[in-house]
Amino acid sequence: MRASDRLRAGLWPPLALSALVVLAALVVSGAGDVVIERVAILALINMVIVVGLWSFSGVTGVVSFGHVSFAAIGAYACAYLTIPVAMKRGLFPEMPGFLDFLLTVHTDFPTAIVLSGLTAALFALVAAPAFVRLSGVQAGIATLALLAVVYNVLLNWEQVTRGSSTMIGVPADLRLATAALWAVVAICVAWAFARSRVGLRARAAREDEAAARSLGLRVVADRTVAWCLSAFLVGCGGALYAHFITTFNPDQFYLQLTFVVLAMLVLGGIGSLSGAVLGTVVYSLLAELLRRLQGGEWIGLDLPAGTAEVVLAALLLLMLVKRPAGLTGGRELPLPRPRRAGAGSAGRAPTAPEPTQG
Amino acid sequence: MTVLEYLVDALSGGGIYALLTIGLALLFSVMGLMNFAYGELIMTGGFAIYLLRDLPWPLMVLGTIAAVVAIALLTERLAFRPLRGASPLTLLIAAFAVSVMLQNAARMTVGPRAKGVEPYPWLDGTISLGGVDVQVLDLVTIVVALALIGGLVALLRRTRLGVQLRAAAEDFEMASLLGVKANRVIAAAFAITGVLAAVASLMLVMKQGSVSVTIGSVPLLIAFVGAVVGGMGSLQGAALGGFLLGAVTAVLDAALPGELAPFRDAFVFGLVIAMLATRPQGLVPAPEVRV
Repeated sequence: MRASDRLRAGLWPPLALSALVVLAALVVSGAGDVVIERVAILALINMVIVVGLWSFSGVTGVVSFGHVSFAAIGAYACAYLTIPVAMKRGLFPEMPGFLDFLLTVHTDFPTAIVLSGLTAALFALVAAPAFVRLSGVQAGIATLALLAVVYNVLLNWEQVTRGSSTMIGVPADLRLATAALWAVVAICVAWAFARSRVGLRARAAREDEAAARSLGLRVVADRTVAWCLSAFLVGCGGALYAHFITTFNPDQFYLQLTFVVLAMLVLGGIGSLSGAVLGTVVYSLLAELLRRLQGGEWIGLDLPAGTAEVVLAALLLLMLVKRPAGLTGGRELPLPRPRRAGAGSAGRAPTAPEPTQG
Repeated sequence: MTVLEYLVDALSGGGIYALLTIGLALLFSVMGLMNFAYGELIMTGGFAIYLLRDLPWPLMVLGTIAAVVAIALLTERLAFRPLRGASPLTLLIAAFAVSVMLQNAARMTVGPRAKGVEPYPWLDGTISLGGVDVQVLDLVTIVVALALIGGLVALLRRTRLGVQLRAAAEDFEMASLLGVKANRVIAAAFAITGVLAAVASLMLVMKQGSVSVTIGSVPLLIAFVGAVVGGMGSLQGAALGGFLLGAVTAVLDAALPGELAPFRDAFVFGLVIAMLATRPQGLVPAPEVRV
């Protein structure tokens, strides 16, 4: 491959995916339908979270069931930063003294998103030593336990988090453009990381951990970077989510969201960034179609609640059986090539290594 | 609280936990599956109890066991058999999907709201034992749990199926090469977990007096924790892990100061993370840990 080709192969996927996101956002905002716009915003938020998860699970091959806890931390951090100060005294009458600063601190929304992501990343850094050494099913269970711990604390630390009563007062100021911008940011950051020195080393360890270690790669250190970076992105996604639904409690950030996020990633293909993005798009479209179908649109018949979830879960299962590498099969979007004879067979240029099936 | 009361609490809690963890560990040892849908087996049991509550209790118990075993075998046939040989991680994600499916299927059919189940009056009473009042239900739980664990041990030690199960747990490929029928052994393992889950759901529903779609989620997490602590895939370890977990939960209940008591589960799961980080093979390592 020539140097210019390599450059194009390196820049093409994030550019193409970002263009896709921007185009979709433009079309949706042009359509001017409020419901469709809400669906699109939610899909874009999920994309930030899924791409964030991919930058750990896709790059290191260690599947995490606990990343939604970073989204929870991002959402709560963002709530403290953006709920109007005048409301907070009333919302948290029993805030413990050492957290009193939470009642007076306030930033604008963009700053709050970044700070929320950083909070999640800091939490991830503290927790990292317990998780980055594990892989396979042990890592799955340990991260699931992390999710349970964070959920339990958020649910029961009522003076600080309001527990199961909902968090209210978060401004509803998330616009489609902001969500699209963050989706693009997440895509570019995740791609830059996957192509960086650390990312490449982590991907090497994904393919063969023993060989990577024997080459002197510090697998644990690289995974820690990936873990924290992905926590940052997922935390930002959580902050966006907070401003999207505006009222939430810990239940919003538990097994259900975990399933949705994992299903999106696995559906698209965990081996490539394109898989994470396309999986989110496809899942969101399907979920919305099924939601309307269940609501009685088109067939004029209400289906019982839960139908959509059953169908989506069945689809994920079918995918795992029939095409475990996902829709993209672990490949990035192929480069469009100048037309030439026999182009049919030359159309696939794998820019990512074959994924480890996980 | 006297020592005896404390012991009864720990034993009955630990007994249910042990049943749950053994069921999970059995599947993991035979086919590398951490069955996330285990909670939904308990949910199935709960709804079977609710639907059969007016029958005489022996029929109700049999019906519940039959229903749970049927669902367990169905998930094996439809979801896990096509995935045989996939990595434990793929199986875990698949089991997550099965769990969501079953839970929502129940939501569609039986309905999302919790249903009350009147416990049998004779289970509700207390009897005096050595000067303290003990709940009949707790005693029944202990006896049933011990009997089931004993029965399972006998099955594994003495019967042909048991030998095949243990062989499959040790080295699945070798066992199938030597003529153990893979489909039969795995189906048997699923059936056994179904029986264990059904009995656990009976105990849980009788204790709680109600059934809901999410009744299985806490037992599921407990079983996960117990299996991890005991060493995934080791049956003795699972039993030990389950009992220990019951004891630790009881100790934490008593030892945590008032304001920390709601965070008990956070401590339990924190222990799991610490356990996995420092001793991922568990207390009793399985013969072959599948990673």
